[in-house]
Amino acid sequence: MSDPISLRGMIPHLALPLALAVMLTGFSAVEPRSLSAGNLLNVLEQSSYLIVFTLAQTVVLLTRGFDLSVGMAASAVSVAAALAAVSAGPAAGLAVALLLAGAVGLLNGTVVALLRVNPFVATLGMLNICLGLASTLSGGRPVTGVPEGLTTLFYSGTVLGIPAPVLIAALCSLGLALLLHRTVFGRSLYLTGGNPRAAEVAGVRVRATLIGAYTLCALLAGLGAVMLTARTGSGEPSLGGSLTLESIAAAVIGGVSLRGGSGGVTGAVLGAVFVTALSNGMNLTRVDGNVQMIVLGVVVVAAVALDRFRDSR
Amino acid sequence: MSVHLPSHHPQPQQGAERLMLAVAGIGLLPLLLLALVAVLALTEPRFLGTANLLNILRSASVLAVVASGQMLVLIVGGFDLSVGAVVALSSTVGATAMAGAAASGVSPALAITVGCAAGLGAGALVGLVNGLCVAVLKVSPFMVTLGTMSAASGVALLLTNGIPVYGLPDGFVTGFGRAVWLGLPSALVVSLILLGVVAVLQRHTLAGPALRAVGGNVQAARVSGVAVRGWTVSAYVGCSLLAALTGLLLTARIGSGQASLGGLNMTMESIATAVIAGVSLRGGAGRVEMVALGAVFLAVISNAMNLSRVDSKAQLVVLGVILIAAVALDELGKRRRVRV
Repeated sequence: MSDPISLRGMIPHLALPLALAVMLTGFSAVEPRSLSAGNLLNVLEQSSYLIVFTLAQTVVLLTRGFDLSVGMAASAVSVAAALAAVSAGPAAGLAVALLLAGAVGLLNGTVVALLRVNPFVATLGMLNICLGLASTLSGGRPVTGVPEGLTTLFYSGTVLGIPAPVLIAALCSLGLALLLHRTVFGRSLYLTGGNPRAAEVAGVRVRATLIGAYTLCALLAGLGAVMLTARTGSGEPSLGGSLTLESIAAAVIGGVSLRGGSGGVTGAVLGAVFVTALSNGMNLTRVDGNVQMIVLGVVVVAAVALDRFRDSR
Repeated sequence: MSVHLPSHHPQPQQGAERLMLAVAGIGLLPLLLLALVAVLALTEPRFLGTANLLNILRSASVLAVVASGQMLVLIVGGFDLSVGAVVALSSTVGATAMAGAAASGVSPALAITVGCAAGLGAGALVGLVNGLCVAVLKVSPFMVTLGTMSAASGVALLLTNGIPVYGLPDGFVTGFGRAVWLGLPSALVVSLILLGVVAVLQRHTLAGPALRAVGGNVQAARVSGVAVRGWTVSAYVGCSLLAALTGLLLTARIGSGQASLGGLNMTMESIATAVIAGVSLRGGAGRVEMVALGAVFLAVISNAMNLSRVDSKAQLVVLGVILIAAVALDELGKRRRVRV
């Protein structure tokens, strides 16, 4: 740990908030509305979904893993939960969501940890399976008629004026931060990602840690899926299209290393806010959707290149 | 990441061991493919029809070319998520340039040349960016190609607004894309030639061992004088060029440039094909003949499922399971060999 007072040690932690501030100022020069309180709150609320998915991705990235199935798992969970909620009420919907997400994560973790399949391939296979599941269950159409209870709890409700999605994202961030820094499991994630052999020698139960990581990741993604389902009021088979790549991009922009073992909740949250603010700003300044794709691509590459540069110093 | 403790294997079962070794010698994939074809030929009369077989080979050839490019990158220990986007990019850029040149009144031959050069150039540019970022800036291949994937498909959509580009010269579409040479679709012939070129490069030139050395052990490769950066960049450029050629082949067959060609699906399939064909994700190993076989294998499976009317959504699930099973079997086989 660097001396907290030295400015140099602070630079890596200040770079992203600074970039965020510069970006917002830039957008406000073109479109004054982008800095209005209403829009900033809007960005925060929009971010809460990506934050949950980015936290999910962060858990596996810490173990030097990957989860390409996050987005499609979210689609499958959204459809299954909506179907259950429509026919048997909100509680059944939640239960199905938890069970399905847990099963997906457990399977991912088992294949990675016990069969030692490369995480990329394991979760790529799972992506296909979830995609098939989501489109079969839904027949390709949105599942409408999600009960009010679910929408209130995960979307429209407020506590002390704070919208439910923001509150859930904050609770998840806090919970994960405590888990990562205060529990054996959390420390095991870092050790496993930093150096799996050393971790094994040091007595970390690497396989159990990996299975736990993929399961936790899928459960968080399942929660995100329920939040998105509540927002649209329907189970959407196309929900997860770009979520996987956005969650990886946000985590990496937030300084979570692809080489495992480094990164944290603060970075992941900031990364997710950054990506959301970028797309919100571009929407407000009427940047063409296709140009937005190009910009996101450039930002991702730049962020990783900067990360390497920081490392090599 | 795996720790192989020396295990005290009990008396090996002779028969089973010998079978395992025989399978390891030939490889599981050819045997599986043979078994699959035999079963299909016996149970499904339509399977052996000429039209059906050509259909299988045509879809396998497209996949094989893209997957052989993916293989080059996997051998040097990388990844290329941008191949599907490069297919779309070369299709739209190539078609736009070709149609533009044709409309300006130059000879069709010149228009075709200009279009192909533009498509290949766009592809090569993406490959160059990928390669330089990976080899010189040392950025993770996953993230670089994720970025270029997003950028390339953005450019393809921006260029066309999602509308197909028509107005390609007849010589390109009917004279090439839909032509039949020696009784085979032209795309199949071109793909075979491309795969042959990759095979020759891999077996009879420095490229094969050099790429394997870079992927197998960078330090050792550097010490033994292999130009690591140069070969890494070449692998990415080669991969993108093969994807760009596929884009042009598809454009010629369809008769228009489309931003919806390729896509993430083709990228995923190319990685699946390479992995099923035994190309290691840790780098250092992979053969183009096996990749071609892997593409045929996947094409046969998908054809069999179509013939027996398996729902296209369920097919996705099957592909996913096959992919995981292939790698899991490969890992288990390796562990067994280590123990023996």
